[in-house]
Amino acid sequence: MEFKRFLVNKLILFFMLSTLITVAIVLIGSAFDPEAQFGYKDMPVPIEYAALCMLPTFVTWSKRELSPKVLLVRKAIMLVLIEGVILFIAFMSDVIDTSRIGVVLAIAGSVLVIFVLANLFVWLKDAAEAKKLNRELEAFQKLHG
Amino acid sequence: MNVRIEQVEKEREELVLIRCHAVTDEVREIASFIKSRAGTLSGTSDAKQYEIPVTDVCYIESVDGKTFLYTRNRVYETAYRIYELEELLKPKHFLRIAKPMLVNLMKIKSIQPAFNGRFTATLSSGEKIIISRNYVKALKAALKGE
Repeated sequence: MEFKRFLVNKLILFFMLSTLITVAIVLIGSAFDPEAQFGYKDMPVPIEYAALCMLPTFVTWSKRELSPKVLLVRKAIMLVLIEGVILFIAFMSDVIDTSRIGVVLAIAGSVLVIFVLANLFVWLKDAAEAKKLNRELEAFQKLHG
Repeated sequence: MNVRIEQVEKEREELVLIRCHAVTDEVREIASFIKSRAGTLSGTSDAKQYEIPVTDVCYIESVDGKTFLYTRNRVYETAYRIYELEELLKPKHFLRIAKPMLVNLMKIKSIQPAFNGRFTATLSSGEKIIISRNYVKALKAALKGE
């Protein structure tokens, strides 16, 4: 894959993650700390988290075409790294109460859910494209067969 | 080498005759090109030379500088380079789908999504090959006849 194209895809993923992380913060915050107050300095937090989550995604970069199996393994490594990054931030943070196991599990779970959702959106987009390609292929083969 | 083209009546068989002092690589290359235009490709399998109908080839792959032709149940090595075959077989509905690979569009049974915006093509032989995302745009254009 071209590196430029790879970066464009990562940018799309970055915006998708920013949105999903915002949703996750709202859901986890409402469940564990509904009275919390936020200021302007807290607003970039989802963007910062999304940017940090982007770093492990570079493990899927390869100049050569990766086989589906290798890509699956690299994606699994990427998930483990993202979990590590997010949990590290959580444990370093003063505002996140990591002494409560429920909070830690909710954060780890939300990372997994976001990861699955982000990949699911991409898969659904590709599945729709594959459906269209199959229709066009059928028409092409009828015309030239 | 002089080149002479002679038109014949429809009743007579078309023939390309190469009159040469020695059968050199250059002569073989010309013969191979003519055969490919006529719808066959020269290939070797188990040290034997074969003329493979282009319509039987499912896909072509370049591995470590060697080019292989894959039919439903056999693999042949050919002297052609992948870029030569790409040009040569364009009118025969072959398309590049990855850097080292050409596919016969008439042999694709279905296309499924793979990870990261790539696709998997299932061929009529049952084999599955990856369509690189860099070539998806070209595939779409080819299917639309562009």
